Amino acid sequence: MSTIGLLASNDFKRQFAQPFAWILLGLTCALFAWQFLIALDAYLRIAPKLAAVANSQGATDLVAIPLLRSLSGLLMLIVPLATMQSLAGERRAHTLPLLLAAGIGNLRIVLGKFLGAYVLVALIVLIALCMPLMLEFGTTLDLGRLAAATLGLLLFAGSLTAIGIACSAWTAHPALAAAAALIIGSLLAMIDMGARYQGVDNSLINWLSLSTHLEPFYYGLVASIDIVYFLLVTTLALLFAARRLDSLRTRG
Amino acid sequence: MNHSFPALSLAGVTRKLSGRVIVSDLNLDLQRGEVLGLLGINGAGKSTTLRMIAGMLAPSSGSVMLEGLDLYANPERARRDIGYLPEEPPLYGELTVEEYLRFCARLHGITRAAINAAVEIAIERCELGEMRKRLTSLLSKGFRQRVGLAQAIVHEPALIVLDEPASGLDPIQALRLRELIRTLSQDHAVVLSTHVLSDVLACCDRVAILHQGHLRHSAVLAELDTGSALRVRIERDVGEDAWMQMPMVASAQVIDSRRWRIALHDDASAGDLARSINEAGFGLLELRADNNVLEDTFVRIAGETATIEVAA
Repeated sequence: MSTIGLLASNDFKRQFAQPFAWILLGLTCALFAWQFLIALDAYLRIAPKLAAVANSQGATDLVAIPLLRSLSGLLMLIVPLATMQSLAGERRAHTLPLLLAAGIGNLRIVLGKFLGAYVLVALIVLIALCMPLMLEFGTTLDLGRLAAATLGLLLFAGSLTAIGIACSAWTAHPALAAAAALIIGSLLAMIDMGARYQGVDNSLINWLSLSTHLEPFYYGLVASIDIVYFLLVTTLALLFAARRLDSLRTRG
Repeated sequence: MNHSFPALSLAGVTRKLSGRVIVSDLNLDLQRGEVLGLLGINGAGKSTTLRMIAGMLAPSSGSVMLEGLDLYANPERARRDIGYLPEEPPLYGELTVEEYLRFCARLHGITRAAINAAVEIAIERCELGEMRKRLTSLLSKGFRQRVGLAQAIVHEPALIVLDEPASGLDPIQALRLRELIRTLSQDHAVVLSTHVLSDVLACCDRVAILHQGHLRHSAVLAELDTGSALRVRIERDVGEDAWMQMPMVASAQVIDSRRWRIALHDDASAGDLARSINEAGFGLLELRADNNVLEDTFVRIAGETATIEVAA
């Protein structure tokens, strides 16, 4: 196993040795299940009427996609909690010297930490996805569109995780890291809100927004520009985290 | 491993933090099989020096060479030959001792096939057999320190760096730790920092005294112990001149106002000195062989700060 994989598996194992990850996973699933049941109930109420309308929206439009859209909002709260301990926790517990003195390089440490946190976040996304997928037993879903939305959510979650890791590298206080990640993530998601209110939807500020690049995935549109955007945000945040570790070595 | 180079070599190492010089122009060599004790009061620069040796903190200038390789030019290769125990053992409380050591072994590049043997040796050396299945968060301070030491040696590094390893241990645990360090020194070079003189005397071959970031004294302990000075405690405050008037006294060095280290001429005896002290009316309270010059050197160097502060 590579060093990155080793660090990731160690973090993943340690997360689940504590109640925190289980509680986070359990509460998220419970909340999402509740939303799913409400959406399903509403859909079942109007389903007979929809059957009479030609080209009406189905379960994908009225249950699955709204659920996944609400998951993206939930991720903005969950991901900072999943990443806050990553490097800030190591610094607080005085375990970071073990990694820094092990000769594995700052970028590998950051990538290992990213992967360790991302596996938990991806697990939450995939468990949540299972709920709308169950509708496939009773109706026909647009699986291609669901796949696109899932890809978008995973890329979005990757960017948020990287931002969380960068914030966790920036401070030794996990709570501060979580707060910073929440604020930066929210800012990036809502940065174009003012522009949109004024009817501007094709400016640089729109392009900078996470939401702008996530939205097409919900319609089944997988554009390389959106993929590149999420990868770019992820890469920049991870490079910042590695740079921060470097400065811990050089500036103390 | 290249044995023609020192296991560790520091050349002109300086470290500044926030514009303040923490370690200044440090030069040190250490061979495999040697234990070097870095001695100094709190804030002397010991931990910063060890962090630089361990690859944790880059020097502002100068070089740290490990077996002839610049640590900061070849970080990945060189650091795999270092085992580092920081002042606070870097333990993951969610893992058992065995799980933790397996992780550390893999982190330091031990192959999967060799991990079991490496972990078993480290557990055996640090006497952790009974604790192997216990979570590290549930261990006592002494065992935490031992697990920290085990992670530092599990990959059989050429150089072991220990920051205040006996800190917080009870006397028995400290004694066992010293024995372990002596055992480790047979195959490794060891650098340890401490402000406890007895730790240095018990397990080091060489000592380097740091003060205010400067290397103020470096010596081989065996050579220090061969001194033939006498330590004298008297009732009266006297000056150096009073001692030098005694014909058998070669030199007199004050420790405090009533304690002196006296060196005699070759043909003089301690009995001669005792008689002269009584005749001079100094009030002899104690006269003994002073085979530990280190303590006085350390106290003298450490005391300079207080003297300078009072003078200022």
